[in-house]
Amino acid sequence: MTVMESNREPGMKFYVGVWIGLLIIAGVEVLLTYQGFSTGTLLAVLLILAVCEAGIALMYFMHLKYERSTLFWSLIPVTIFVLLLMDHFWADALRLTRLRVWPF
Amino acid sequence: MSESEVALGGAGHAAVMEEPAYAVPPKKLTIWLFIISDAVSFGTVLFVYGYLRVGSTNWGTPFKFSSILNGMIMTFVLLTSSLTMLGAVLAAKAGRKSSSVKWMGLTALLGAIFAALHLREWSHMIAEGWRLFQNPTGGSVEFGAAFFSITGLHLLHVTCGVIAIIVVATGFNRGRLTEGHVETTGLYWHFVDLVWMFVFPLMYLMNAAR
Repeated sequence: MTVMESNREPGMKFYVGVWIGLLIIAGVEVLLTYQGFSTGTLLAVLLILAVCEAGIALMYFMHLKYERSTLFWSLIPVTIFVLLLMDHFWADALRLTRLRVWPF
Repeated sequence: MSESEVALGGAGHAAVMEEPAYAVPPKKLTIWLFIISDAVSFGTVLFVYGYLRVGSTNWGTPFKFSSILNGMIMTFVLLTSSLTMLGAVLAAKAGRKSSSVKWMGLTALLGAIFAALHLREWSHMIAEGWRLFQNPTGGSVEFGAAFFSITGLHLLHVTCGVIAIIVVATGFNRGRLTEGHVETTGLYWHFVDLVWMFVFPLMYLMNAAR
C-alpha cells in the first residue's frame, strides 16, 4: 500500500447500516420535538443528536475514520474550538448592538 | 552528483524527504480545507440564528406538521443521496466506471428532488406572506430573514453540488476526470448532507407548532 492510499474501507453493506442509523436518529429528533420540552431543553437535545449524526457522517460517510489520524487532529479540534469561540462571543456581539444584557 | 544532491549531503531526495503527514492526495486535502472553512461559515449563521431564536420573546412556531413531514422527506432524500454517492465512490475506486456514473446520476437526481421539495416549501411560505423581513403571523420579523438566509445558503450548496456531480460524472465517463475527482465531489456532497443535519432540527423542528 502506498502512502497516498486510505486505510481499509468497508463495503456498501456497512454504509447501508450507517444510513439506517442516521435515519433513526432523524426520526428520534422528530419524535422528541412533540414531547413538550421547553425551547432551551429542546434546542440542547436536538443539538446533541445533530452532533452525533454529524460525527457519524464525518467518520464514515466522509471516510475520516479511514484516513491518517493526523488529518483528523489537524482539522476537527481547531474547527470545534473556533465554533465554541463563536458560541461564546456572539452573545456579546448581539448584546453590544442592542445595548442590553442577554437574553434580550 | 547533482547540485541539489550535494545540498542534501549526497543522500538523495528519497533518503531525506519525510513521508507526507496526511497521506492524502492534494485534491482531497484542498476539499477538506474548503469544507472546514465552509463549516465555519454555516456555524456562524446557525449560532446567530440560535441566539435570536432563544433570546426572542415573540419568535413563534409557524411550521405545521405538513411542513415537518416535507422536511422529513427532504432529510430522507438527502441522506439517501449520500449513500448513492458512496456507491459512486466505491465503484470508481473499484474501476467500475459505468456503475459509478449511474450512481452519480442517481445522486444528482436525488439532489434535484431535494431542491424541488425545498422550493415547494418556500413557495408555500411566500404565498402565506412570509418575506425576508415580513412575518404574516405578527411575530418576530427576524424569522423570515433567518429561515430564508440559512435554507437559501444550503440550497445554493445543493444546487452547486448537483451541477458539480453532473460535470464530474460526464468527465469521468469520458475519461477526462479520475476517481480522485469522484471522491472529492463525494466529500463535498456528504458535507452538504452534514449541514442539513443541523439545519433541519434547528430551522424546522425548533419552529414546529406543538
